[in-house]
Amino acid sequence: MGYLDNTSITVDAILTKKGREILAKGADEFKITQFALADDEIDYSLWNPAHSLGSNFYGIAIDNMPLIEAIPDETQTMKYKLVTLRKSTTRIPVITVPNSTITLVAGGDAVDVTPNTSNFEGGNSTLGYTAILSNSDVAFLEVGTAVKSVLMQGATVPTFVGDDESAQSVSAVGFSFRVVAKNQPIQSKTATLTIIGNETGGRATVTVTVNKQEVATSGGDL
Amino acid sequence: MAKKTKAQIEKEIAEVEAIKNQLQEEKRQADGLPSTQDSAQGAIVREAQKLANQIVLERDALEQKTTTGKIYSRFDIGNDVISNRKEKVTAGLWSNGTGELKSFHTSSAQTSSNAGRYYFDVYNSASTSVGSSVQFAIAYGHKHGSGSLITNEDFPTKAVYTQYKNLLLAPGDNTFTFDNSVDEEHILAINFQRARIKEKLDPGNWELVLSGSLSGGETGGGNITKLIDNSGGKDATINDGQRVYSVVSGTIANGELTTDDDGVTGGYGLVYPDLGIIVLNPGRLKERGITPTGTVTASNTNNQYNMMLFNAISGAAAYNSSYGFQARNEEEITSTFYYVRVKNADYNFSNNPTFSTGSLGALRHPTMIKDPKTYITTVGLYNDRQELLATAKLSKPLIKSFDREALIKVKLDF
Repeated sequence: MGYLDNTSITVDAILTKKGREILAKGADEFKITQFALADDEIDYSLWNPAHSLGSNFYGIAIDNMPLIEAIPDETQTMKYKLVTLRKSTTRIPVITVPNSTITLVAGGDAVDVTPNTSNFEGGNSTLGYTAILSNSDVAFLEVGTAVKSVLMQGATVPTFVGDDESAQSVSAVGFSFRVVAKNQPIQSKTATLTIIGNETGGRATVTVTVNKQEVATSGGDL
Repeated sequence: MAKKTKAQIEKEIAEVEAIKNQLQEEKRQADGLPSTQDSAQGAIVREAQKLANQIVLERDALEQKTTTGKIYSRFDIGNDVISNRKEKVTAGLWSNGTGELKSFHTSSAQTSSNAGRYYFDVYNSASTSVGSSVQFAIAYGHKHGSGSLITNEDFPTKAVYTQYKNLLLAPGDNTFTFDNSVDEEHILAINFQRARIKEKLDPGNWELVLSGSLSGGETGGGNITKLIDNSGGKDATINDGQRVYSVVSGTIANGELTTDDDGVTGGYGLVYPDLGIIVLNPGRLKERGITPTGTVTASNTNNQYNMMLFNAISGAAAYNSSYGFQARNEEEITSTFYYVRVKNADYNFSNNPTFSTGSLGALRHPTMIKDPKTYITTVGLYNDRQELLATAKLSKPLIKSFDREALIKVKLDF
């Protein structure tokens, strides 16, 4: 006779920065209606199907690891969300973009970024994608095709800390996005465009570089 | 053709106007606009209903569609969320949650300042040390302003007495009365720092040990006085909407020492747990050699009563290292519980980059094909707009597979 596996767990939650911000607006604004699960901190390469003690020990390295406390920064937690898929799934939905690097030569140059979800038909076709450009000094981020769902209207998406202290990230929700270069008179600048699937999770990143503005000079009469 | 009367013309104009209005109304309806007969409020309500219906429809459609391929699950508000659960939490009152303070320090900078003429702050270590912070303050008040140096007729002790009078006594009552019988024109007040007290002092769970100058030693009932409140044996007196207990001789462990009552000078004091204030009766303390005998009548003289009480507190700790100031704080926490129910078919795959391999999303471990296993480490609580409002971490990873379900109770305190 052994003890039953007890999978009912009580855990304490903390408010995120966004949660505190919304709570400060009033109790009516603060309505938790859904949950998601994540496996931040887990490295599945620790799963060892060749463990000498057999299948009960495949995950021993993960099972026994302690976890760090909750992080109140909503941009740094819940990064890798668990997703519900059919049992027969052999490939998880992947967010892809045509190019992993974009280089824009001059201010005003633009490129369209249209994310796609592979391995899952119709994935992210309702709520679209969230795009976050890490440094608004590098480029403008515009929505190409907007999300029509009223569920996403008015949503404030998480913003990342910029590439440097003064930089601000910008974000947008849509099905496609347009990155428009800003003039870079002093030096070339690079930012990261992170695209997150709003339904399936998963993310793709694109490196955006805008070259330093070249000023044509010509020899003139003195 | 017969000439129309004015009345006929007006009637025809009215008919044409009615037809025109009807056509305009039909056109508005064809355009999906609210009727002109509607009030603006009615139109707003209908628009809101339309929007709400659209939200519900979209949400349901999304729910239907995302039986698979979902990362969010909605709570069943009726069954999964229990809100407004109140719980009393007590803890050690002093810094770092310590239940007993045994080291007492003042700051010469504070006591020699103008504020020092009104109260002394008491620290848990030398005021300049790292980690030192104010634990409580001691103030002396006199109804007529005796016992302190006066600058520009500011009467610090009178200000203190009237301050506590206004705060603690019922309107119209101008004098502190101890043991319901003895009026006192001077008081010593212990005022706990707000950060220490949180919501209130936990009555029945504080004990203050004072040393006095009586001879006979501790066992002879002489130099040591231990004070508690009488909340263990009596209900609180409600005074102007706040609870009041008497300060009595005794210990937390053994309760009130009823033999320690001279029957003349009144009780040792009063404690207001909801305000975090203990008012001591100097008239009773002098019987224990803690404050001087005689009455304080001289004005513009610093009688150092603050320092006397401080010396009595720190002196007890110096006399016996097991003597200190024990106290607990109390606060009421309002919590909401969220039951996160994870069914066996849910959340068995992960977007974690180590879960898959290559750029095509193939599972890293072939043994996980048709038998995937994930680990739950974090629960995120979201609103309808998918904004992460709260997050909870498990103490260790919880394995999830098609053979396992999980119930995680998430507690969010406000």
